[in-house]
Amino acid sequence: MSVKVIEVKESVFKNNNERAEILRNRLKANNTFLLNLMSSPGSGKTTTLLRTCETLKDKYKIGILEADIDGSVDAETMKNAGVKSIQVHTGGMCHLDADMTAQAIDEMGVEDVDLAVLENVGNLVCPAEFDTGAVKNACILSICEGHDKPLKYPLIFETCDAMIINKIDVMPYFNFDMDMVKEYAYKRNPNIEIFPISAVTGEGVDA
Amino acid sequence: MHEVGVIKAILKKVEKVMDDEKLDYCDTVVLEVGELSGVVPHFMEECWPAATYHSRFENTKLEMNVIKGMVRCDNCGVEFNAYENDLKCPKCGEDRKHTPLSGRELIIKEIRGN
Repeated sequence: MSVKVIEVKESVFKNNNERAEILRNRLKANNTFLLNLMSSPGSGKTTTLLRTCETLKDKYKIGILEADIDGSVDAETMKNAGVKSIQVHTGGMCHLDADMTAQAIDEMGVEDVDLAVLENVGNLVCPAEFDTGAVKNACILSICEGHDKPLKYPLIFETCDAMIINKIDVMPYFNFDMDMVKEYAYKRNPNIEIFPISAVTGEGVDA
Repeated sequence: MHEVGVIKAILKKVEKVMDDEKLDYCDTVVLEVGELSGVVPHFMEECWPAATYHSRFENTKLEMNVIKGMVRCDNCGVEFNAYENDLKCPKCGEDRKHTPLSGRELIIKEIRGN
């Protein structure tokens, strides 16, 4: 039986990139700003979002899309704090793509939302690979994780517009070099904006 | 973990191509994997059987061509392999400002079937 060779010559991410652009335009027409927030598990994404929502609640209507493999802990935490939120279960997938994000947006409803934040699955590798349709990407790196992460996980720091260094209140107890982490981050992304904060104490949050 | 999600995206596209070209069977998928794409060919090979298990692609082979990660130094203009030089220009030592030339892509080059 003869075998045909079909040239494709297409990026694996082309379809997702197109779907992300459609979502981005749709949200823009609705005046909803979507931020994709990424980090490894336990860096303080949810706590940082709680602090952010508390600080901005009188300025913006906020909606949080919580993505996890399973469980509803984070969405419940948001709802108990009076924040509009839904829980997305990825069913084993380690990241969200544009279609999954669009589904979550539809489920939560953003007609009355100025700022939507996608709290992506806790993972320093995969989420960076897939455009979610967000306007901006941000990542959180906590003091406890070490200052060498921008060297070890280049893609996430290359794709993020901002890096939040969380848990600065515990810096005295760790060998974390703030100058080194900034140098490493700028090496990956000269334009990244860096915000050292403590979501628990509130230090640095106003920036 | 990461590669499984990528494989699922690949198979979605391959399925569409097969429908468009009226192919019943896909023998081989050929990818071009950039050294700087974040995808590791070895892990793709390891994950492929699990990701295609009990699907129409269970017997489909995966072939990969690795594309070198080349960048141009914005300081001195030298083109070098970013991966082999750890992102540092071998001529002037610049380790921040480079223009990517190749190696970030992950492309479905072709499929073979009937």
